[in-house]
Amino acid sequence: MVREWRLHTLSLFSLSVAFVCLGAALLVVTNFWAAEQRWRRAGRASVFLKDSASQGEVDALRAALVRVPGVTGVRYVSSGDARTEFGRESDGKGDLAALPIEAFPASIELDVAPDMPDADLADMVVKMREIPAVDDVETYQAWTGRLTRLARGGVAAAGVLAIVVLSAVLAVIGSTMRLVLQRRRTEVEVLKLVGATDGFVKKPFVLEGAVQGAIGALAAIALLGLLFVLVRGRADTELAGLVGVEPSFLPWPVAIGMVVLGGILGALAALVSLRRLVPV
Amino acid sequence: MLRAGGARFSRDAAHRPILVFEDVYKSYRHGAPVLRGMSLVIERGEFVFVTGPSGSGKSTLLRMLYRADTVDDGRILFLGRDVARLREDAVPFLRRNLGIVFQDFKLVSSWSAFENVAVVLEVLGLPQRLVRARVAEALERVGLGGRGDDPASVLSGGEQQRVAVARAIVGEPALILADEPTGNLDPQLAIDILGLFEEIHEGGTTVLFATHDRTLLEVRPRRVVILDEGKAIDVPQGLSADEYDNRLPL
Repeated sequence: MVREWRLHTLSLFSLSVAFVCLGAALLVVTNFWAAEQRWRRAGRASVFLKDSASQGEVDALRAALVRVPGVTGVRYVSSGDARTEFGRESDGKGDLAALPIEAFPASIELDVAPDMPDADLADMVVKMREIPAVDDVETYQAWTGRLTRLARGGVAAAGVLAIVVLSAVLAVIGSTMRLVLQRRRTEVEVLKLVGATDGFVKKPFVLEGAVQGAIGALAAIALLGLLFVLVRGRADTELAGLVGVEPSFLPWPVAIGMVVLGGILGALAALVSLRRLVPV
Repeated sequence: MLRAGGARFSRDAAHRPILVFEDVYKSYRHGAPVLRGMSLVIERGEFVFVTGPSGSGKSTLLRMLYRADTVDDGRILFLGRDVARLREDAVPFLRRNLGIVFQDFKLVSSWSAFENVAVVLEVLGLPQRLVRARVAEALERVGLGGRGDDPASVLSGGEQQRVAVARAIVGEPALILADEPTGNLDPQLAIDILGLFEEIHEGGTTVLFATHDRTLLEVRPRRVVILDEGKAIDVPQGLSADEYDNRLPL
């Protein structure tokens, strides 16, 4: 590998580009999954009250909700409290903070047990909507569902990218190995003439292919890590506010898996390209 | 001696000829056979020249022996095993019993002299300590003691061929095949290299030396096999240049 460093450097660069695409897709997918899990576990529902709801109706509703199986917490948020909370979260920025109190409806915030069946929650929502004092009920399931669909779409995209990466690895390493084999033609010929088996001859090439693939993946992870640090430094607050979780880098098992995948693909590519050694 | 293809060594093998060509046919073009029913027996410990005009089949003979080529018909028995019918995966084990020297040396120029010789023993999986000792001994034997670290690319033609000879003998093969080993060397170097092969032969190794250089045939009376029109003409007592011309008029 040292002797043909120019050839291998070009090969590594191509591999890194392919793995960066795959790594980026995996990064997005893992963060979507984390957000989806966070929202799924949040176990929240908001019961928005009509402006005309009386204090008695609100108290009765609160008392009833406390007794519902699966509801672990009930908290009344008045219009004023809602405006104050919003102002605190947005640090007083934006035009919404300047809106009057009437723009922030009173609500009862429910904490729902994570294991509460969706059907029971949906049933509860239907019944609550029939209560005259209730304007609307938000369970954020649509948001969670959207995240789940995004995550699944991301997985599908990652799958397609994985196929692209596989093809790229096979093509790049295969071509590199064939070039290396041509350059080392005499070496291979001598090895075969002194009685080396095909396995003995191919072993260093397969190892080279595996190392190339693994280093390509490792370089991609390092580059992605650098980009992640740069992006996070500028946008983590906005992203956290948007999806409810702080963005995180690839989990260790995923990163190690990519390197191992790179190694395996590299070895396979070398093996396939060496199907037919120099005939001697 | 290594076992070829896993066969057990037989006591009778010691008394059998080391090499037998039985009615060997080989052609590269239809209607123009290189070897036509060639038969030949080489005994253990012999030094045999194989000669003939260009295209007579000298290299073909050797190539079929180390299975770089296959016979069209006939048998080639080496240590009692038919080389022509070996499976592909058994060919490396056949070659481990042979030492082969080529006209173009076939050294890896980016390797040192040591590495070019050591590769034979590394393929066998010998420990490095033993490899170092045997390679040093082989290089010493060919007159290149202490030159192991020199890259093959900086060695002269004669020195490169000596390294090739060292590589051929380091594995202590049963048979050494030399395919025009002096073809790229000047006459004096050619004599020197022939002398090297003769020294190796004196140690008991069988040598099959293919050459078209008639001056080498005169150095010492040795058995000569002349390939002519696809057949082998055996001259056990050797040939002078005149006798060569008489056998193969121009």
